[in-house]
Amino acid sequence: MRAALRWIRSDLRAHPTQVIVELLVVAGVLTALLLSATVLEGATNPWRGLFAQSKGAQIWLHLTHGTNVSQLRHIGGVTELAGPYTTTAATIVQGPVQSAVELREMTPKMPQIGRLLVRQGSWLRYSAPDGVVLEASFAQAIHAVVGTRLVVNGIDGPTARVRVIGIAATSDQGFYPDQTPGLAWVQRPVLRRVEPVAKHTEELVGIKIADPDSLNTSFVAQQAVAELSGAVQNVSTWMQVEQSMARGDPLLGLLLALFGLVTLGGAVLVILNATGGRVLVQLEDLATLKSLGFTPGQITDMVVAEHAAVGLAGTAVGVVATRFLTVSLLQGIPAAIVPAVVPLPALWIVFIACSGELLVILAAAFPAWRAGRVSAVVAVRRPLPSGHLSQLARLAMLSRFPPAVVLGARAAFIRRLPAVLTVGGLAVSMAVITIGLGVASTVDDVQQHPADIGLAAALTVSPGELNQAEAARIVAADRQVAHAYPSVQVTALLASGQTTITTLGLGTSARPYPFDVAQGSLYRAPGQAVASQGLLDLLHAKIGTFVTMQINGVPVIFHFVGRIVEPEYNGQVLAYGLDTLKEAGVESPPVYYSLVLRPGITASAARAHLLSVSGGRLDVAEVTNPAGQLGIIRPMLIGLIAVLALVGLASVLTASAVGIRDQLRDVGALRAIGLTPGQVMLSLISSTAALAIVAIAIGATAGLLVSTRLINLGAQLYGIGSGIGRPPSAEAMAVAILIAAAGATLTAIWPARRAATIPVAAMLRP
Amino acid sequence: MIARAIPRPVTAADEMLLKITRLTKVFKGSGPPVHAVREVSLSVRRGQFVAVMGPSGSGKSSLLHMIGGLEPPTSGEIWFDGVRVDGLSQAAWALRRRQHIGFVFQFFNLVSNMTVADNVELPALMSGATRRQARERRTELLAELGLSDKAGASPARLSGGEQQRVALARALANRPSLLLADEPTGNLDSLNTSDVLRVLRRVHGQGQAIILVTHDARAASMADRVINLFDGMVADDMDVLPPVRSSVAAAGVIRLGE
Repeated sequence: MRAALRWIRSDLRAHPTQVIVELLVVAGVLTALLLSATVLEGATNPWRGLFAQSKGAQIWLHLTHGTNVSQLRHIGGVTELAGPYTTTAATIVQGPVQSAVELREMTPKMPQIGRLLVRQGSWLRYSAPDGVVLEASFAQAIHAVVGTRLVVNGIDGPTARVRVIGIAATSDQGFYPDQTPGLAWVQRPVLRRVEPVAKHTEELVGIKIADPDSLNTSFVAQQAVAELSGAVQNVSTWMQVEQSMARGDPLLGLLLALFGLVTLGGAVLVILNATGGRVLVQLEDLATLKSLGFTPGQITDMVVAEHAAVGLAGTAVGVVATRFLTVSLLQGIPAAIVPAVVPLPALWIVFIACSGELLVILAAAFPAWRAGRVSAVVAVRRPLPSGHLSQLARLAMLSRFPPAVVLGARAAFIRRLPAVLTVGGLAVSMAVITIGLGVASTVDDVQQHPADIGLAAALTVSPGELNQAEAARIVAADRQVAHAYPSVQVTALLASGQTTITTLGLGTSARPYPFDVAQGSLYRAPGQAVASQGLLDLLHAKIGTFVTMQINGVPVIFHFVGRIVEPEYNGQVLAYGLDTLKEAGVESPPVYYSLVLRPGITASAARAHLLSVSGGRLDVAEVTNPAGQLGIIRPMLIGLIAVLALVGLASVLTASAVGIRDQLRDVGALRAIGLTPGQVMLSLISSTAALAIVAIAIGATAGLLVSTRLINLGAQLYGIGSGIGRPPSAEAMAVAILIAAAGATLTAIWPARRAATIPVAAMLRP
Repeated sequence: MIARAIPRPVTAADEMLLKITRLTKVFKGSGPPVHAVREVSLSVRRGQFVAVMGPSGSGKSSLLHMIGGLEPPTSGEIWFDGVRVDGLSQAAWALRRRQHIGFVFQFFNLVSNMTVADNVELPALMSGATRRQARERRTELLAELGLSDKAGASPARLSGGEQQRVALARALANRPSLLLADEPTGNLDSLNTSDVLRVLRRVHGQGQAIILVTHDARAASMADRVINLFDGMVADDMDVLPPVRSSVAAAGVIRLGE
C-alpha cells in the first residue's frame, strides 16, 4: 500500500503536463454534464429556480378583506409571513380581447419574501403611479411589452388606464394561461380606482415555513385554514405551483442527452487513451516493479488508483467551477427556456460527480488490467519494434520528400496498438465534432424552414368577434397570405378507452396542409391520416395500419398513410383532412385557419395587417417554432468542441510521448549519421501529425456517414420522428478539419522540441 | 519427548535453498520454437555463490528469470526452501520475490520516475515496513554503498556504476536469501565493476546466496561454484576453492568438482 502510494506520487510528479491535461478533461466533462443537467432541470422544472431566486413563500392564502393574519405566526414551523397584500380581480381590455387578471397592490419597496424577478423595465416606482408590472408569461400571452398602454376594468365597471413599466417573473403561481387569471402588480392608486370598495378586495398572505417538505407544507396549510376559519378564499402550495410550471421539452431534452452522452464518451476515450499511453511508456518501470515483488493485482490497482485520484481532483475542480460559473455561463439562455438559473440541488451534483468518477475508474480499468499483465521480463528483453521501409516510404524518399518527414511518418505506425489508440481517440473526437456540426445545421434548418417540421403555417387565425364567413373572407382576401387552411384541433379517445391524443384536421383531402411527409404519403382521401412517430409507437402501428378512435363519441376509422415530423404534443399527433370528420358524421368543432404566408413576409407583419384589416376583431396568433428555443445549441456546441479539443490534445500528447520514447534511440542513430536537430524535430512532429491526419480523415468520414442517421435516430427515439437530420455544411467541415490538423501539429511541436535538444550521446545510451 | 530435547542435526535438505530439476524453457514465436533452456537440474545451498557463464543465447538469463519467477518454465520443477514453486501464480511469485529474492539487471532498471531514495525504500515499503523503518534501512544501505549524497537524485542523473549500486541497494533492502544478478557488470567500466563486485562479495560474506549470470571471468572467479551453460544445457559445473594467499601454484587453486 505504502509502496504503491509512493509510486503513484512519483509518477504524478514526473508527468505534470499529462496529469493536468487529464484533470482538465475530467473537469471539463463534468462541468459540461453539470451545466447541461442544470439547463435541463431549469427548463423542465422552472419553479425551483424561480423559487430560490425570489425567496418565495411555500404557501399562499387568499383571505377576505380585513382578516387578522398575526395568529398565523403562532403555527409551528412558520418562520415568516409575506404581505398581506390587497388584491382584486379585474380584466385587461385590448380591443375585443379581455383577459382576466388579478391586481396585487405592492409598493416600490421590493419585499424580502416573495421577491419579483424583474425581467424587463423596472419595478413599481413612485414616479410612475399609473405603472403596472406584468407577470412574464401573462405579458407574453397578451402581447404586452414595456411601454404598452392597457385599459383595466374593475368587476363593477370602473376603468383605469395604465402603462406597463416592467415585466417580472414570480414563483407565486404557475404560468399563464395554465393558471388564470394573469398577474399584475400595481400601486394603491390604481387598485383604488379599479375597486373603490375596500371590502370587495381580498388579502393575500404568503407563509414561509422552516421545513418545506410536501407533507409538512400540507399540514401547515391545513392548520392555517383551520386557524383563519371561514376567511380563507383560496390556498395554494408550492407543490401545485411546481406541478403547473413543470413541462417537458423533447427537443431540448434530446439535444442535452446527446451532448451529455458525447462528452461522456469523450471522457472515456481520454482516460482510456491517456492510461493506455502511460502504461505503454511505463512498461519497463512496471516490469521492474514486478521483479521487485509487485503482484499483477497490485499493479492494476495502483494504475486505477492513480487515475481515480486524478479523476477525483478533476471532478472536484469541475464541481467547484460549475458552482461558481453556473450563473455567468448560463446567463445567455433565454428566459423562455430557463426562467431562472440556479445551481443544481446538491443530491444531483453528488450523483453526477459520483457517476463521473465511476466512469474514470471504469475507463482506467482496462489499460490497468493490461498493465498488470505486463511481462516481468520486458525489463530485460526490451523488444523494439521494427518493420520494413514500405514501398510508399521508398517512393516518397525517391521523390525528394524531406527524409525526416518520411521517417517520422513511418515510425508513427510501427507500434500498432498505440497507433490504433491514438488514431481511434482522435478519430472519435473528430467524428463527434462532425456530428455536432450536423446537429447545428439541423437546428439551422429547422429554424429557417419550419415547414420541415410541420410548421408551414406562421399564423393561426380564429374568427374572434367575427363570424366564420367574415373571417374566411378577410383571410382569403389578404395578399400576404399564400394559403389558408381551415383547421380544427380535437381530442380523440383511443380504443383502449383510457388514453386521449390530440388530432388535427388540417385542410381537406383535396387540399391538404403541406406537411413535410418523412415516410409514405399525405392524406388525399377521407379517412386517410398522417401520424407522428410518437403516435405510431404508442399504437404499435405502422404506415398502412387502420385504427379506430372516438371523436366526440363517434367512432372514426383512420388509415395511416404517412409519417410526419412533429416536435409538439409530446410527438403524439394525428392529422387528416376536415372532410374525414364530416364523412364520419362528427360534428365539426369551431374552425380556425392556419395561414402559410408568402415568401418574405414576417409573421408579425402579417399579424399586424390582419388585426388592422379586421379592426382588431380577429384573433391572430403567431405559431411558435420550438426550434426558436434552440439558441442554446451554439454555446453547447462550443462547450462540446472545447471538451473534445481537450480530448484531442490528450491523445496527441500521449502519441508524442509514446512516439518519442520509441524513436529516441533511432533518432540518436540518425543524428549520428547527420540529421540536424531541426530535422529530428521535424521527424518527431511528422510522426504525430501523420497519426493525426489519418485520424481526422477517418473521423470526418465516419462522422459524415453517421451524423444524419444518428440525429434522425435520436429524433425517432424521442417521438419527433426521423427526417429532420441534415449533414454539416461544407464550410464548417473544412474549417473544423483545418483547425484540427493544425492544432495536432502545433501540439506536437513542444515535446518534439524538447526531445530534439537531448544530446546525441544520451540518446544512444541504453 | 526425548526427540524434542535433542537438537535436530542439520541435514543436507535444510542446507538446500534452491533445487531445480529438468527445467526447460521453449519460446514459441512466429518462427520455429527456440529451446532456450533444456532440462537443466541443479541445487544451490544457502549462502552459496554460483556464477553462471556461457555465450550469448546459451539460456543464462532465461534460467535466472525462471528461478526468480519472472517467466514460467515450459516444464520441470523449481523447489525453493523446500516448497515447490514452479506452478505458483504470478501474485504468489511476487510475494515470494518480495521477501526472499533480490534482482539486479544489466540495465539497472531503476524506476525512472522515482528518486534514488524511493527506489531503495520501495521493497521495504512493499513488505509492510513502516515509513521510518524503510527510511532507516535505505540510509544504512546507501551509506554502505557510498551513495548517501545521491538519495534525492533522479536515477537518470547518475552514472552507470552509481545506478547499478542503487539497484543493488534496492535488491538487498529486504535481506533476501537469494540474490539473482543478471550481468550486473555487463554495462560498466572496470572501476565500477570492481565496486559492484566488492558489494557482491560483502553480500556473500553475510550469508546470502547469489546466482550471478556473467561473461566476466573476474566476476566469476569470486564464486564458490561456476556453471557453464551451452545451448541451454549445463556444459560443466565445478566448485571453486577460495584463493589461497600463499605461493601455491595456480593449478592447485582450482579443484574440479564431482
